[in-house]
Amino acid sequence: MLYDLGRADLRIKWLVTCLLATLGVSYVFGALMVSLYAGFTPERVAATYAGREMSMPMPPETTMVMEHAMSMADFAKPEVHEVDTNLLIQDTHVHVPMYGVIAAALSLVVAGLSLSQGWALALITLLFSAPWLDFAGMWLTKFVSARFAAVTLIGGWAMGVGYLAVTALAIHQMWLRTRGVDR
Amino acid sequence: MNLLLRGAVIATVLHITPAVVLVKRPDAVQALLPGADTYLARDVHLSDPDAHRLHELVDWSPEDGVLTFYSGKADTTGVGALTFVRVDTPHGPIEVAVGFTPQGAVRGVIVTKATVEMKPWVLEAVGAGLVERYRALKPGDVPAGAAALVGHVGNLAAYIAGEVDKGVARGLAAYGTFYAVRNVGA
Repeated sequence: MLYDLGRADLRIKWLVTCLLATLGVSYVFGALMVSLYAGFTPERVAATYAGREMSMPMPPETTMVMEHAMSMADFAKPEVHEVDTNLLIQDTHVHVPMYGVIAAALSLVVAGLSLSQGWALALITLLFSAPWLDFAGMWLTKFVSARFAAVTLIGGWAMGVGYLAVTALAIHQMWLRTRGVDR
Repeated sequence: MNLLLRGAVIATVLHITPAVVLVKRPDAVQALLPGADTYLARDVHLSDPDAHRLHELVDWSPEDGVLTFYSGKADTTGVGALTFVRVDTPHGPIEVAVGFTPQGAVRGVIVTKATVEMKPWVLEAVGAGLVERYRALKPGDVPAGAAALVGHVGNLAAYIAGEVDKGVARGLAAYGTFYAVRNVGA
């Protein structure tokens, strides 16, 4: 095969290693950011994207007012980070292109690995479908049912699994596998 | 590959940095409802016609169609009300707290949240006296804090002042249309 990372020039191996390390750092901080703003449980993801529990599913026929007492402690409670439709449109517009670029970069690494065609296609599909699941889950949680928060979680974990699989295979084939390979 | 690189650059430039709390809500409440010891939250669930009316006034619909006002009392005397308004900008959201006196004039405005990217612009605008420009405005008045700052601050601080103007305009419209009419003197 013309493009084989296991036999590639040292400079290419180093480039790919640096790319994977940089993406790894961004994934770690991405996970930290998710833990700060949305959380890793379906309940917290649903609270972030589905909106307030008290919200009415449809606008009332006439404007309605509800009042309740507040204490200063209520104002001090940690706020649930809510993503409304406008912000979700903005998030989707901003993040999906970058996710596509990351999936493409990792897929280029996959194309240089010694894998069967089936495994390579499966990995590439995983890399692109994971962010689709992530954002599909957010939209479905907002407009269909809070139960779709699980789809967002599956998408997020799938992104992590895809990255780890590509990184482990690439590091192994580029730096650790010795038989029949020129370093 | 060229397309990929261009996509990466565009996505990086457009990436929105996380929101940071500039002033905590309890601190904003104490500053805008001074002396209050009891508080009431009022959620106004807008009907479609009322939501449309508000949209016509200030080109804005509140999150989930709900306006929330907080009023405060010292003993039995009303000290005013406040609302938190979010403004979505291309650089991410900011949140503005707009407080009103019992007479219905703006007592004060506090920018409570911004993104990491916008924080220095907000601080520059606020440091140049932006929020003082809103004091005593009443529903129907047009906030013009940004215009007053032009030439005194950098372009980005003047830009963010325009976004704060939008937040104050929304607060004024919401208060004047859906709170003050029910609560003369509250």
